[in-house]
Amino acid sequence: MNVKKQNIDDLVLLTIVDKDANLTKSENFKEIVFKEIESGTRKLIISFEHVEYLDSSFLGALVAILKNLVPKNGRLILIELDNDIRNLFELTRLDKIFELKNSLETAIEDFK
Amino acid sequence: MNRIILLVDDDIFQLRLFEKLLTSNGYNCKIALSVDEAESILQSETPDLIVSDYEMPGKDGFEFRRRLLKEDSFKNIPFLFLTSVNDKDNVQQGLDLKAIDYIAKNTPPSHILSKIDNLLQAVREHYERSLSEIKGIAERLNLRNIPKKAPKLKHFKIDYFNQSFQNQPGGDFIDFIQTNERYTFIILGDVMGKKWGAWFFSFSFLSYIRSAIRLCVYDENYSLSEILNKLNRVIHDDELLSDIFSTLSIVLLDDELGTVMYAGAGDLPILKFEEETMELHQFKSDGILLGFSEFGDYNEMEIKLDVDEELYMISDGMIDFELNGKKKSDINLFKEKLFNFKQNKESIQTIKDRLFDKHVSQVDDCSIIIIKKV
Repeated sequence: MNVKKQNIDDLVLLTIVDKDANLTKSENFKEIVFKEIESGTRKLIISFEHVEYLDSSFLGALVAILKNLVPKNGRLILIELDNDIRNLFELTRLDKIFELKNSLETAIEDFK
Repeated sequence: MNRIILLVDDDIFQLRLFEKLLTSNGYNCKIALSVDEAESILQSETPDLIVSDYEMPGKDGFEFRRRLLKEDSFKNIPFLFLTSVNDKDNVQQGLDLKAIDYIAKNTPPSHILSKIDNLLQAVREHYERSLSEIKGIAERLNLRNIPKKAPKLKHFKIDYFNQSFQNQPGGDFIDFIQTNERYTFIILGDVMGKKWGAWFFSFSFLSYIRSAIRLCVYDENYSLSEILNKLNRVIHDDELLSDIFSTLSIVLLDDELGTVMYAGAGDLPILKFEEETMELHQFKSDGILLGFSEFGDYNEMEIKLDVDEELYMISDGMIDFELNGKKKSDINLFKEKLFNFKQNKESIQTIKDRLFDKHVSQVDDCSIIIIKKV
């Protein structure tokens, strides 16, 4: 799984570089983010700028990440989801669980 | 689907030669001039076979193989070493590292091709045999997440279809629970994930669903909202399912009054084709995925259904498409197809055949339940 990490003050931005976020990558991605949370990260932004398709395994990994982070008083914002993926979140009420923002700037602003 | 072969060699001439030979014979090749490049490719692609040289500057082929053996996701990818003619020690060392075989660099192209074809065929046959054995065991244990038949009711006709992805069972599950002559619960769920992992957990969810329904019915409680709230709480508290999530659509048919109640958890909307107005309506539940939060706040709604009208319950595989190599999830595309079938007054069988057309690229397992008021 190709993931780029960037520290912005006390925030961590993880950008998924792959176009397909699917079953073959979901476990690896979950491990990467769990390690990030274990190391103390509590303010997390995940960028979907390059992602064109997200399957249910990867959605499950995202939900597991959020479920792990919330009891630790952490916060996760997902940014730059394309229209199809955003529609899928709204259609299945995942937009009730996740915070979705259009851009990195608005996410950073929201964390302040 | 073309099988992918990852070729690793620091000699670009040799790489191009192999690539040309294999691509002209139907394989899809990824090439890497170093182990680092190969590992970068493996982050986004899982090849069907890796062919790697021994001697390369920096990390060599043996180190590459040792590194792959440490990774669960890569250790079982069939691996062949490329070798020069007289290095018997290297051949032995490579075979000791669980490489399936080796290819001498001066082997005639037709032999190389036959060796790779035979190897991949043997891997495929071994996989099919194992799959068939597991399926046989599941069948003998009566482990089934899709029922054999739908109940026959006075006021409703139920049809359902499920298609597995890449010939493996998946996370979609269907159940019909007839608690007495009057009430029938119709269940469509989808454990997030694919193939065997999702299939395995679907049985845990099914057991909980069956128990929650039975326990509520013993108390004369037919409220879908209460059933879902109780079910969600139990699943939330089950540590084994703490990382596993499932969507659920649950419909209650009252065969005495001919009414339909519906509630859902993170599921796709139920669709209804209205005969009079020739319109396709959608009914969206308000519940979130089962098990995410202790209190899910699930509500139920009544769906009015007139005689000859149909309801469609679908899993997410039905709205996933692959067009021109690009995958997407699009419920509107599915609705458009369904609307056209209904406008053309196609039968349920034709709708099923067209929706599950083998020429349509499938990305996940797919399920649909069609409930018709008769």
